[in-house]
Amino acid sequence: MAILEEPIKEVRTLKNYINGEWSESKSEQILNIVNPATQKTLAQVPMSTKDEVNAAVEAAKEAFPEWRRTTPLARARCLFRLKELLEENFEELSRVQTVEHGKTIDESRGETRRGIEMVEVATGIPSLMMGYNLEDIASGIDEYVVYQPLGVFCNIAPFNFPFMVPLWFSPFALATGNTFVVKPSPRDPISQVKLAELVDEAGFPPGVYNVVHGGADAASVLLEHPDIKGVTFVGTTEIGKNIVYKKCGETGKRAIVQTAAKNFLVVMPDANIEGSIPALMTSFFGNTGQRCLSGANLVIVGDDAFYNKLLEAFVDTASKIRVGYGLDESIQMGPMQSIDGKERVTGYIEKGIEEGAKLILDGRKPKIIGDYPDTCFLNPTVFEGVTPDMIIGREEIFGPVASVMRAENLDAAIEMANSSNFGNADSIFTASGKAAREFQYRIESGNVGINIGIVAPMAFFPFGGMKDSFFGSLHGQGRDAIRFFTESKVVIQRWL
Amino acid sequence: MRLHTASETISFAKELENKLAKFYEDLAKRYAKDGDVFLSFAKENRKNVVQIERAYYGVITDAIEGCFAFDINPDEYIFETALAEKASYSDALDKAVEMEEKIIKFYSDAAEQSKSLMADVPRAFRMVAEKRNNRKLKLRSLPGKEG
Repeated sequence: MAILEEPIKEVRTLKNYINGEWSESKSEQILNIVNPATQKTLAQVPMSTKDEVNAAVEAAKEAFPEWRRTTPLARARCLFRLKELLEENFEELSRVQTVEHGKTIDESRGETRRGIEMVEVATGIPSLMMGYNLEDIASGIDEYVVYQPLGVFCNIAPFNFPFMVPLWFSPFALATGNTFVVKPSPRDPISQVKLAELVDEAGFPPGVYNVVHGGADAASVLLEHPDIKGVTFVGTTEIGKNIVYKKCGETGKRAIVQTAAKNFLVVMPDANIEGSIPALMTSFFGNTGQRCLSGANLVIVGDDAFYNKLLEAFVDTASKIRVGYGLDESIQMGPMQSIDGKERVTGYIEKGIEEGAKLILDGRKPKIIGDYPDTCFLNPTVFEGVTPDMIIGREEIFGPVASVMRAENLDAAIEMANSSNFGNADSIFTASGKAAREFQYRIESGNVGINIGIVAPMAFFPFGGMKDSFFGSLHGQGRDAIRFFTESKVVIQRWL
Repeated sequence: MRLHTASETISFAKELENKLAKFYEDLAKRYAKDGDVFLSFAKENRKNVVQIERAYYGVITDAIEGCFAFDINPDEYIFETALAEKASYSDALDKAVEMEEKIIKFYSDAAEQSKSLMADVPRAFRMVAEKRNNRKLKLRSLPGKEG
């Protein structure tokens, strides 16, 4: 199978997009963006200065009054134009994600589609943003509520879905009349630059949407900035809980803070093994395990015969996964996004061995399809005999490692899952409606799957999360996002 | 090498459609009498590519099992389009029917395997397979002599 053409032809230093203009950063701190599969340099990204981050917020603040007064229908039309441009550039956007992140082309196209769906849903803003009213709350007096935008919001983006995650928020923020600043991950910011080019082409007024590059320092400026009304963040629990959420509390900002996970996938003895394997593979090894919805702990319920049958099918399929460069269409799993990520995962594998878990599939010496350096590559890894109290059973590994556990029955499986500090996405595989209902009812998780491996809510539903997987009140996407990005104002009127 | 991912399966379908389209275009030149029929088939093949790609791009999300949806041996469906220099019109039609049957089998098998890819992809595969059944009837109804 041929390798698809690479989308980036020359190495360039990325610019910030502030107030409708592309501007070079004055920063002397520049990082290389490297294709994790080939190790070729793709671009350079500046760690923008405090002044540059402030300039982005200032531009957004300046643009807010006029954008807010732009009718919802006119704002929606900008989003419709953006949607068309995203469709036209679908393949290029997808290939950029593959080269900057490492994911397979199918995964990148999936990410692009998800991002576009957010824009599509946000175009419904004239209906979504409507308030409600009641006549005669007292004689001759009416009361109604309107939803109004607040001002400038920002997104501090993660590396694992470089294109999609900022789009969980920005279309809803813009549609509701707010203005926005995105700080992409410094590891893979190129697709966000491409997105900003399309936002510019779509005709959003200057300052409504801004992109400023940087790392932790730039994020701190955004978190401290008095003109930022709300922060959306996706990343680790350590940073999300202890820095982002805390700082938002101190500075009175709204916050959607989506953090780490340790997801349990429970397979009941009546599950359809053959039908479940593709979902399990996608869950544990899709995106090379670098997603907060990934399966982490595979809990098998049932007798030895069922356990052995499922485990054999799981390990056999995992061992045959084709690992390589994501632009090769036959590849099922790409590299880790960075060497740091790979080292973190291999560290967890070593901890698992030390803790006494049985390593039944070792991905540390990767077999790679094609002639690529093994710098960031791993193969799928499976541990057996893991318990929820082991480090590999309780901490987020964020890589292609499955920890297999056993539970006597559904109650025990739910108890194991609920013992986790996290509550992002748990699934059950079963043919029993009763078991599924019980699981859905009792599981402490924001996203629940029934015979689904990756419980990714569509754009018109909120992206849940509980316990140490989420900090905030309202979630991203859907109606929650509309409420997050608006203030409700109640009016009581009487005409004398 | 077997096909496992959605993208390579879609690319394979595209390859088959384009190969067959070229075959019909050549047939239209060689047998002018039924040229319009063959050209309409070629045009339809290109439309099939659009239809299948549209279904794929419309439902490929990060949640579906795109990288694990198929287990297809392409060798079972590959066909050669070259006609012998002295092939008769009947031979050409037989060859066309044979290729259509292979491609119908490919779409039917792929539809069966891609149930997990939401409904749209297998539906598109089945629709294309059904259209081909009609085409097979049409090919068989053409008089088996040179025009």
